[in-house]
Amino acid sequence: MISQRVNYFINYFKIAVLNIKSNISGNVFAFLIMSFSFFIMLFFLLCYINIYNYMETLQKNNVMIVFLKNKAKGRTAVNFINGIEGVKSAQYYSNKSSMKFLEKKVKNLKSILKNIDPRNLPAFIKINFKKSAVSNIFLSNIYLRIKSLKGVKLVYYNKMLRYKIVRFMFFTKVIGLVLFLFLFILSISISYSAIKLVILRKQNEIEILRLIGATNNYIRIPMFIEGEIGTILSFFISISLLFAIYEIFIFYRFDSFLEFFHIKIIFLNPPQIALVFLIAVISGIAGTYLSSKKFF
Amino acid sequence: MIEFSHVFKSYDKNYVLRDLNFTVNKGEFIFITGPSGAGKTTTLKMLIALENPTHGAVKFLGTELQDLKPRDIPFLRRKIGFVFQDFKLLPNRTVFQNVALGLEVSGIFGNIIIKNVSEILKAVELYKKKDEFPLSLSGGEQQRVAIARALVQNPQVLLADEPTGNLDEETSKIIIDIIKSFNNKGTTVILATHNKNLINMGRARVIDITKS
Repeated sequence: MISQRVNYFINYFKIAVLNIKSNISGNVFAFLIMSFSFFIMLFFLLCYINIYNYMETLQKNNVMIVFLKNKAKGRTAVNFINGIEGVKSAQYYSNKSSMKFLEKKVKNLKSILKNIDPRNLPAFIKINFKKSAVSNIFLSNIYLRIKSLKGVKLVYYNKMLRYKIVRFMFFTKVIGLVLFLFLFILSISISYSAIKLVILRKQNEIEILRLIGATNNYIRIPMFIEGEIGTILSFFISISLLFAIYEIFIFYRFDSFLEFFHIKIIFLNPPQIALVFLIAVISGIAGTYLSSKKFF
Repeated sequence: MIEFSHVFKSYDKNYVLRDLNFTVNKGEFIFITGPSGAGKTTTLKMLIALENPTHGAVKFLGTELQDLKPRDIPFLRRKIGFVFQDFKLLPNRTVFQNVALGLEVSGIFGNIIIKNVSEILKAVELYKKKDEFPLSLSGGEQQRVAIARALVQNPQVLLADEPTGNLDEETSKIIIDIIKSFNNKGTTVILATHNKNLINMGRARVIDITKS
């Protein structure tokens, strides 16, 4: 029973391959159309993932600066801050090291810094947080706790920027999801049209097969296999093309200008590729089903 | 084996067949004749459940064909080989692949296909052209491929609708001889034609449906 089913499947597969071979120009045209649709989807996903990662990096790399009053004891504040869960490091800068810090950060303004008396600069503590601990509520809480400490003059963290990033990320998520759904539907409709172009040419063949005693399964299963071969091949063409473009982009250092913004372009990871592969498989099944519906 | 009992067939209230009655016994060779539009093709189509009678009954091996469920129709068609006037071959498949289709649709695979298709192609004298495509063959050769495809399943009945309609007289005789040779081996044959010469060549029972 199982071997007979395997034989049937092998036979259906052979028929599908034979069908592709016998209408090679039509099939190649369909493959190219489908490859284009999957390429657009993969390219969108690549851009989306990189934008999202960048925003997430911005969000997670939040730094808080605590300015201390004159003659305040920095050591006590540092010890207190280091005891807070979620704090990665807290570094104390005295008036003198404040000057060094400035000299390091704004090298081109040395002539101005030369005229500043380090004693007029505030001592401060720079706090870095663990990425996993950072959230809006967490930072607001820390802000309030540190602000109430004795000797603290001002606590600064870019609350507005953070707020904007969170809003932007939410916006990116929603728009991304809507666009992805749109591309998903588009890929099904493109696959449907491409497969329909191939199937419509089979009208005469289907009629002949019916007359000589072919069952619906005998006619339809090779069509589904043909559709799947088409979409899977198209998927591999599009992912290979995207990967080649990505490699060229990296090899010729076209991404060097992005380093200025601390942006590192990453390629899609296996689950993301698998998602688009799944969409390709679904497109093949749905496209064949819809375009062959009128014959059954 | 086959029974047409008070069969009427109309298209938009125009009757093509009126009270058609005949029976065909196993192993018989019969001609269905009548002028164009008399309903010869419709009569054959009823036997493969491609058309249903408006009234009356068509029986094959005791089963009323109009009662067949759609899923059973392919199995009926595997018992009945059909040869068409326009051959109905697949142009993108070779002679061998076209004939093999007759077996493949029945779920037969592998060496049996090679053996049976080779045998039938030898019988219709086309084995040497097994790898050629239909469009490179003459009309007579294409019709022999169609006959081979219809007979490769070893059907109980062979229906032929104007099988020599597009062929010259000499080629027609070859086709009739091939069909007769299979009839001599036990296949029931029903051949629809309006060609009197062909009927004379066949020397078999004639059913004139214009008289129905």
